[in-house]
Amino acid sequence: MNKRAFWVLAAIAVLGAGWLIAGQALPKAGLPVLTTSAGQSTDVTTLNIVLDEAGIGYDYCDVPTVEMVSDGVGLGGRESGPGFHVESTTDVAKYAAGTPFKTVIFAIGASLKGMGASGLTLDSEEARLKKLIDHCKQKKIFVMAVHIGGESKRGPAGSDNERMIDAVAPYADYIVVTKDSNKDGRFTKIAGPKKIPLTEIEYALNLVDIIKQVLQ
Amino acid sequence: MSFKRLIAFLGAFGLAVLLAGHLASAGGPSGPDGSDGIVRGEGCTSILVGKLASTDGSVMTTHTCDCGTCDWTWRHVPAADHKPGSTRKIYHISQYKTWPPSEGLKWDVYKKDSAGLEIPEVAHTYAYHHGMFGYMNEKQVAIGESTIGCQRKLVNPTPAAKLDLTMLTLLGMERAATAREAIQVMGSLAEKYGYGFHDDGEMLAVADPNEAWILEICPAGPLWVPESGKPGAVWCAQRVPDDEVSVCPNESRIGEIDLANKDFFMASPNVVSLAVEMGFYDPQGGKPFNWKKAYSPVNGSAVSTNGRMQRLWRFFDIVAPSKKLKAETPNMDLPFSVKPDKRISVQDVMAMTRDRSYGTPFDPVLGIRGGPFKNPNYYRQTRVIDHGLAEYSTITQSRAGLPDPIGGLVWIAFGSQDTSCYMPLYAGMTEIPKSFMVGDHWTFSRDSVRWAFDYTDFHVQVAYSEAIKDVQAAQAKYEGELIARLPEIDLQAAALLKKKPAEAARFLTGFAINNATTVTNAWWKLGDDLLVKFNRLYLYNVERRGMVRGQPATPEWWKKATRVFDILMEPDKK
Repeated sequence: MNKRAFWVLAAIAVLGAGWLIAGQALPKAGLPVLTTSAGQSTDVTTLNIVLDEAGIGYDYCDVPTVEMVSDGVGLGGRESGPGFHVESTTDVAKYAAGTPFKTVIFAIGASLKGMGASGLTLDSEEARLKKLIDHCKQKKIFVMAVHIGGESKRGPAGSDNERMIDAVAPYADYIVVTKDSNKDGRFTKIAGPKKIPLTEIEYALNLVDIIKQVLQ
Repeated sequence: MSFKRLIAFLGAFGLAVLLAGHLASAGGPSGPDGSDGIVRGEGCTSILVGKLASTDGSVMTTHTCDCGTCDWTWRHVPAADHKPGSTRKIYHISQYKTWPPSEGLKWDVYKKDSAGLEIPEVAHTYAYHHGMFGYMNEKQVAIGESTIGCQRKLVNPTPAAKLDLTMLTLLGMERAATAREAIQVMGSLAEKYGYGFHDDGEMLAVADPNEAWILEICPAGPLWVPESGKPGAVWCAQRVPDDEVSVCPNESRIGEIDLANKDFFMASPNVVSLAVEMGFYDPQGGKPFNWKKAYSPVNGSAVSTNGRMQRLWRFFDIVAPSKKLKAETPNMDLPFSVKPDKRISVQDVMAMTRDRSYGTPFDPVLGIRGGPFKNPNYYRQTRVIDHGLAEYSTITQSRAGLPDPIGGLVWIAFGSQDTSCYMPLYAGMTEIPKSFMVGDHWTFSRDSVRWAFDYTDFHVQVAYSEAIKDVQAAQAKYEGELIARLPEIDLQAAALLKKKPAEAARFLTGFAINNATTVTNAWWKLGDDLLVKFNRLYLYNVERRGMVRGQPATPEWWKKATRVFDILMEPDKK
């Protein structure tokens, strides 16, 4: 390889990396968006705060069912109750109540305490997630999976957290994880064979820009 | 419907309406599930007593560690010198996480959860005793705890927050010689390295032989990153006046603050600015900044929550009945601290930790709530100070006028306070009883101190109102006699300390371990005795070995209550 070719290739590599970092390669998803939890950890609160920070309205439910997702924006007018939380900041001037969701974002992270508060077990949470994902696939709703809890909120194969990852990540259209969540390459291994776009970030804060680019 | 059935029906209906009222407001306006935007806990109660409010001049703190499924084991950590340039590894320690025995004990395996951070080590770290938190170090710095929750937007479960509360208290124990130092150590580390991950809004009672402080700390939100240069936590501390007492029952206690008064207030630099940034406080609103209203507001009173939030009022009712504070007063409006009607002894504090609000409108055995044997554990609507789910309770005493190794005491009662017994550990001990270091909720073990107390507790439940009398007699014996004997032990230890400090440490260690062993054995036997005495719900007179078995007296009102329900359940005559 002559010098000129080397520098051209180097420039392409640098520009390419910059292009990726700038998020140009990120997939595009649509609004309105529903946020929810896979495993009922507090990471879903972080996700909602990320959307707030990004200036993107959303509907949120900790334990949505297929029927609720089908009801679209406003989740059929359901209200929070014991072990069940809904919230809507979706701009109803743009997306009227009942508008079908185009994206569902799952914050992955298992919390037995959180599941207990919602009256769920690991098995029932898995079953609920499967139905939800199947529905999203059928209705061509974009599924985004995020894991921002880090290494301490992972675990050995078969553990609570890993079961939640298995329930969602392989079926996602896009995965975003913090670097230490993916220290063992678990998400890379899931994303690679299925060609699911995967982005690693340092902090939850970095998710703000990604969300903006993916949803706007 | 017959007349008697009508009366029974109306009675039952009235009861149902009353019950429905309780249930309807059980969640209250600010539910523990965070439905009000506040992430809240309901686990622990922490009492603070200033040095001029106690009978012996000691400063006291308490903690009831009442998660219900948490680890209860304890450790002693010795003092250590560290070479320049050495580092202290930081771990994520969840208050709630336990490991099965096959994997090891919590304090042997928690280091698997590295936070990925090492901080510069100090030249010397102090010795201390810890359980769920650091409780007492060799300088008499003492800690108690209560989860208060915080605004949802502040919670930071991300790995950017390197320090959990337990880790912070261990660092406070290792590095602080006074309460103020402990607050500064914990606060500054939380600011620098980020606080949260497993924990959110928390209160610590921090004391030394001179002062008791309430420190409250919250994360700075999940979008905090260390590179921002902003503090990774927000905290505030207020000192309890020396002649007053205070309490934290899972509610923020610090209101308006005066940072110019450095003897009574400390805070992180962002204490007001973060509230403004997050939209929790409007400086243009014409009202002074109020810590609890900004970061951890609650709605409701003892009455409006049907007793769910009655501990705050109840504590003040116990210590200062002359103040006549009203149970209808919103908790946010109750005082930070009060001067007690009389000075408080360590035995008074033990009694407070065992309080079940008997005789108040929130009495858990009022009417038929407790069954025929007035068992307060059936009725859980009222959240009382004595929590049947307690892993253990602590009372720390930091005593001026005594050398630190002798002055510092942490009293521990394993299990529910009402059926347990407080056993002291001296600050100067170099080891703790082995039975304090083992055991978990899922495997019965005669090697674990906690199971001795659970064993007695279990047998008390059968005929509570009768059996608890035997436990109270044992408490009076083992706690009362020990408290009476402590001055003599203190003197002996002080004399030894002057001549041979190592011998003094051995003496204190031997005394406390021996006492713990005696008490533990007594409680195993007490459990056996209760099993025999109330076997099959009969009263066996063990001393007389009589052929006739008595039955615990079933009260008249209970017989009437059962008749009412019998009538109600009678099938209609056709």
